[in-house]
Amino acid sequence: MQQTAVMGQQEAESAQTTTKALPRRRPWLGYLAIVPFFLVVALFEIMPLLQLALNSVIGRDSEALGLENFIRVFTTPLYQQSIWNSVWISLLSAVVGIVVAFLAARFCSDASPRVQNAFTMILNMMSNFSGVPLAFAFMILMGNSGVLTLIGQNFGIPFLADFNLYGSEGLVLMYIYFQIPLATLLLIPAFAGIRKEWREAATILRASTFDYWFRIVIPNLMPSILGTLSVLFSNALAAYATAYALVMNNYALLALQITSRFKGDVQTDAATGGALAMVLIALMVACTLINNYFTRRAAKGRELV
Amino acid sequence: MAYIEFHDVVKRFGDNTVLDHINFGIEKGDLVTLLGPSGCGKSTLLRCLSGLEQVTEGKIILDGADVTNVPASKRNIGMVFQQYSLFPNMNVEQNIAFGLKMQKVPTDQIAEKVARAVDMVELKGKEKMYPANLSGGQQQRVALARSIVTEPKVLLLDEPLSAIDAKLRRALQSRIREIQQELGLTSIFVTHDQDEAMVMSDVIQLFHAGRIEQAGSPVDVYTKPISEFAASFIGSYNQLTAAEFADLTGERVDAGNVVAVRPETIGISTEEPEADDAYVLKGMVVGSMPRGNVLRYTVRTRTSVLRVDVLFRSFHMFNDGETVYLALPKHDCLVIPAAA
Amino acid sequence: MSKAASVAGGKKTSLAGKIFLAVVAIYLLVPFVTTFIYSLFVEWTDILPSGFTLRNYIELFSNMTFWSSIGRTLILCIVSVAITIVLILLAMYVVVAVNRKFAGAMQFLCMIPYALQGVILSIGIISLYTGTGTILSNRMFMLFGAYTILVLPYIYQGIRNALNSIDAEMLIQAAEMLGCGRFRAYVQVVLPNILSGILVSSLLAESIIFGDFVLANNIAGTNYQNIQVFLQANMDVSSGLSSAIVVVIFVVVALVTGIVLKLQGASRKSVKE
Repeated sequence: MQQTAVMGQQEAESAQTTTKALPRRRPWLGYLAIVPFFLVVALFEIMPLLQLALNSVIGRDSEALGLENFIRVFTTPLYQQSIWNSVWISLLSAVVGIVVAFLAARFCSDASPRVQNAFTMILNMMSNFSGVPLAFAFMILMGNSGVLTLIGQNFGIPFLADFNLYGSEGLVLMYIYFQIPLATLLLIPAFAGIRKEWREAATILRASTFDYWFRIVIPNLMPSILGTLSVLFSNALAAYATAYALVMNNYALLALQITSRFKGDVQTDAATGGALAMVLIALMVACTLINNYFTRRAAKGRELV
Repeated sequence: MAYIEFHDVVKRFGDNTVLDHINFGIEKGDLVTLLGPSGCGKSTLLRCLSGLEQVTEGKIILDGADVTNVPASKRNIGMVFQQYSLFPNMNVEQNIAFGLKMQKVPTDQIAEKVARAVDMVELKGKEKMYPANLSGGQQQRVALARSIVTEPKVLLLDEPLSAIDAKLRRALQSRIREIQQELGLTSIFVTHDQDEAMVMSDVIQLFHAGRIEQAGSPVDVYTKPISEFAASFIGSYNQLTAAEFADLTGERVDAGNVVAVRPETIGISTEEPEADDAYVLKGMVVGSMPRGNVLRYTVRTRTSVLRVDVLFRSFHMFNDGETVYLALPKHDCLVIPAAA
Repeated sequence: MSKAASVAGGKKTSLAGKIFLAVVAIYLLVPFVTTFIYSLFVEWTDILPSGFTLRNYIELFSNMTFWSSIGRTLILCIVSVAITIVLILLAMYVVVAVNRKFAGAMQFLCMIPYALQGVILSIGIISLYTGTGTILSNRMFMLFGAYTILVLPYIYQGIRNALNSIDAEMLIQAAEMLGCGRFRAYVQVVLPNILSGILVSSLLAESIIFGDFVLANNIAGTNYQNIQVFLQANMDVSSGLSSAIVVVIFVVVALVTGIVLKLQGASRKSVKE
């Protein structure tokens, strides 16, 4: 009994001396590496967001906590119009974009490798053609003295001659323009997941072409289509440069109105701007959540296959 | 005092206890196998010894020193991983030399040691190749060379051969064993394959649910399983409940026990044998299946189904439906406690 | 019968497909091609342009404001992307070598800018820091900060995918067992193997900053004109000059994109091998 106690003591001593000799683990030291990242994210991502949220809930006139700014946003015609315009222009451009992209991706996946490469090359290159350069190109093309406008006047094509680039028509046209390459690039991989055997299996089971497309292909692609749609929608909602270059702040569009509240020529109105920003964020978060939901479902579907 | 000692080692991940008070020692120069089904804690124990994982409780002694809190890079332990984990940007030579460079071994000695290690794993001529251009077996040889070239105190092998196909695997098993014995390198080998454990080990530690179920030499563990789990995991013991056994042989055993009989110890014949030292049962062949050099019959007796292995000799085979007599040698009927 | 029909159908779709793809390609190419032609002629007031000239380019390339805005843009691109790479490499060290639990938080924080995009980010930053009188109210400081955040998602995804594809965690453990400390293993073993992944994602990020107008205009505006703001300021002044700027911007971004595609193609090929 006594002996074992002594043994234990000896053991403890020897253990102590060896831990002194050997270096000890310092796990906390490694965590230092993540600090700069958190610092920068806090300073330039999280705190600015919180600032906007704070702006939005402190009333401009009452200077009290409340929904005053939101009530103003939802009752002032300019802001109502801005939200409405942003939503419908984004939605329309997203839907047109996805329809074109669906067909383009479908034909592209059937095409020869040479056509495929050339087409995706064009998509990749042109997906960068957006913002101010895009607006400028459209002005040259369809502005008041644009090339197509001239052609329209000379040949009597009213659609081209009377096209109003500096309004919703023009915005929709340009938004569709930048949605198409993005949407197609997002959908092409989804088409790669459609197996050739499905078509063969469907044919053996006497499915018509209509059945094949509407009962097999489209249901399988639905998660990707809806996910892409939400990406396009939020992409258009947040677009700023294209619209600004075209109409400056003189159009009721959410992104333009938010920015002009903070950089106004007359006076800044951070309270209203904050509330508008919150509306935009809410729309985009909703989009992202929908997108996440569908991509997760798509991932699950792939696991099943 | 053993070369490596585990004292009451406990490892928990959240509420999940993966290692439950592990205590044992390993003698210098031995190759010890940690054997068990996946999720039994064998790999975790290896990782605790390596330092890649921290123990929750208990301590680990290596060569007389407490290494429980020593970082992995300072323990001087070699490890071979299942996925090889070679450095893709380094060729064979550079991979093997990496550990020596870390120890600041002089350059001329590095070249010499690397050459010897390359020789040992039979990779001469492939020194300048990159891992991406090597087969799985070759990559694992590089990984082996890389971890023995630094002359570690212990070599840990974490299911190193499970991604390699069967034929190559057997060759590598014996090569690893040869190298280990040649260098007198204390080694711990983790596997879920009982055949591999039998071939390679000096000592087997059989793991089950975070505890050591049984320890001993391969022969001991194989012939004398001490529990129902050990009997079912090692060999493919026939297991009879106490009631079945009593019914078949008239012998009584405690209700808390089972009787385990290895298939190859059972004799099979068409005529009733006369044997005092065996229990003789009557049964009917219901199936047969060749397994390498052994033919395995499935025989239905009055209350149970037994597997019987005989050497694959074609001069006499039993047909399905044939009535046979089985002889269970008395000393091969092991009475062991049933699982809870 | 049905087989013959489906074969005929297949041929038909392929032709229709070619036409459709051609129409889409033309729609996408026309605006740029028009701008390019426009930049090479004196005037385009009739159906066809007249008077071929390189005047616009000569004028542009001798314009010092243009060069300084290009210079500023490049500084913004390179410095911001470099900062982001360093931040994420350091943070990912913690994820792969210290505590995996940070992976979720990293992913979340890095993907927020992807959802927010420029408008919200820029006004949030100016609303928070303008006129605070600290170093943070410096426009340059704000701009670099904003760009760092803007490219976070792209750099993060590139680095994370590269780390996953080489199983960085295992490599660090292997190096550790050979006597190499974790951080040293990360630098000496992991980094050399993810360089090409970092390169691709950082080029992508460069082209995003190069094409940015929102952040530059909202945060710095005319104080620190980048190429896009320079273009916007010139649009009403001279359409000839502006068309040349558009072409230059497009060519630069197209070159970067081309390099990215080439690198990605090469890495895909080597994976297949």
